[in-house]
Amino acid sequence: MMSVPTTFRVIDLRVSIGTDAIIRGISMDFFANTVTSIMGPSGCGKTTFIRCMNRLHELVPSIQVSGDIVLFNQNIFSVNPMLIRRQVGMVFQRPNPFPTMSIFENVVAGYRLNGIRLAKSESAQIVETSLLKAGLWHEVKDSLHRKGAFLSGGQQQRLCIARALAMDPSVLLLDEPTSALDPKSTSHIEDLIAELKESVSIIMVTHNIGQASRVSDYTAFFLAGELIEYGTTQKLFTVPDDPRTEEYLSRKFG
Amino acid sequence: MHSTMGTDAQLSRRVWQDRLFKLILVGVALGVVLLLTTIIGFVIKQGVSVINWSFFTQLPQPPGARYSGILNAILGTLMLTALASILSIPVGMWCGVAMAEHPLHPLVKWAQVSVDGIQSIPSILFGIMAYLWVVVPMGQFSAVAGAVALSMIMLPIVIRAVEEAVRRVPTTMREASLALGVSPFRTTIKVVIPCALNGILTGSLLGVSRISGETAPLLFTAFGSPFLVLSMFQPVQSMPILIYNYATSPYADWQQIGWGASLVLILFCFVLSVGTRWVFKR
Repeated sequence: MMSVPTTFRVIDLRVSIGTDAIIRGISMDFFANTVTSIMGPSGCGKTTFIRCMNRLHELVPSIQVSGDIVLFNQNIFSVNPMLIRRQVGMVFQRPNPFPTMSIFENVVAGYRLNGIRLAKSESAQIVETSLLKAGLWHEVKDSLHRKGAFLSGGQQQRLCIARALAMDPSVLLLDEPTSALDPKSTSHIEDLIAELKESVSIIMVTHNIGQASRVSDYTAFFLAGELIEYGTTQKLFTVPDDPRTEEYLSRKFG
Repeated sequence: MHSTMGTDAQLSRRVWQDRLFKLILVGVALGVVLLLTTIIGFVIKQGVSVINWSFFTQLPQPPGARYSGILNAILGTLMLTALASILSIPVGMWCGVAMAEHPLHPLVKWAQVSVDGIQSIPSILFGIMAYLWVVVPMGQFSAVAGAVALSMIMLPIVIRAVEEAVRRVPTTMREASLALGVSPFRTTIKVVIPCALNGILTGSLLGVSRISGETAPLLFTAFGSPFLVLSMFQPVQSMPILIYNYATSPYADWQQIGWGASLVLILFCFVLSVGTRWVFKR
């Protein structure tokens, strides 16, 4: 397990909002070209945790963080968050394509909004590659210049995945990416996640135990802001070390 | 079971209460509709007879002359509202955006109180302030002075509308942009403002339609003029002032022109607010 190169390395991360401790000292490593699921009941701190990894937690005004998060030997708290966020893509619970932009513009939004100029052929290439990777190209290739509002929820979410992939991130953070989608779109996105790990490391938050077992190589179980157990998905789901993991998996709580 | 349902007498009383309440609702609604249609109908009836091509292309003539027009008032009002918009929309827009994007900043509360305060000031006072600030230093009445007075009335309307429109943009839009490594400033400019554009335009147009009918602040700023004035630095005629002057004149044909001008002003505001709705729906 240690022979695989690491991406993120989290060291004693503690997060609190006001007097509420959300994360109570979590240390863990994430590995390249794997899918890692973070699961746990509502309120266990998993979404807060993943939002710390691209420093989006800083949008919450009174949040306090201690500990370190290192990405490829770079402490993410010692550089401008914009640089981290260009290396680390994120997809949210609800699809959030930009409503004022066409499908094409949405995919290259990371470049345009950052003021990075692309040659016409270059952006066309990026759009096609990203939409192909996100499994959306064949559905939208004839309407690239229409606004994305007519797309279904699942298609919009794949558009958001394409938008994140277009920046060629080394890590992709997925925050319950299918929680707002129907079962068919969900399984489409799960298949996609399995394919994507060839080119990008994926860290996914989910409250869906089945989803964690289906798509991830590693699974971490969070409870009340603590990391209870972390290991290969196979081991965690078959012979968990901690009785609380077993209880959670047998759906006694959560 | 029967006791909890109430007696038949109670039930029929409630049915009557319902009917009465509905009747009052319909009556009040009808009253409002009637008021509006009466006003508009009356203005149309009084004003439509003087409206023809020359009404829009000619200058006012002495009483008794044919082909009198209100060209100078139309152009004056357009000049005044255009300049007032140029003065207040950029300031109001940035103020509204800043207030909405940094809701926790200590200055925001002060700004909100100030906006409400400005909105509660009677409009004639803006005329007095513009008189002191612009007319006195310049030594004469002018379109600039009128526009300054109008822009102070328009400013809080624009700020409030922009602030609300920007607040309505979902946080998920900002997150989507920030997560791509875009700076907060560029996120505001390139994502939040485009998403709020409908509301911003609506607010600005509402502001324009509000000030286009203002009379009091123009009395001693733009003052009014019987001539065709295209300079910003001279007294200029406007629709409300023309209506005021002509309606209070003793000549029947001038009063008639006052009605015609009222009709044009009502139509202008009507088109603006309908246009605003149309923009908003898109």
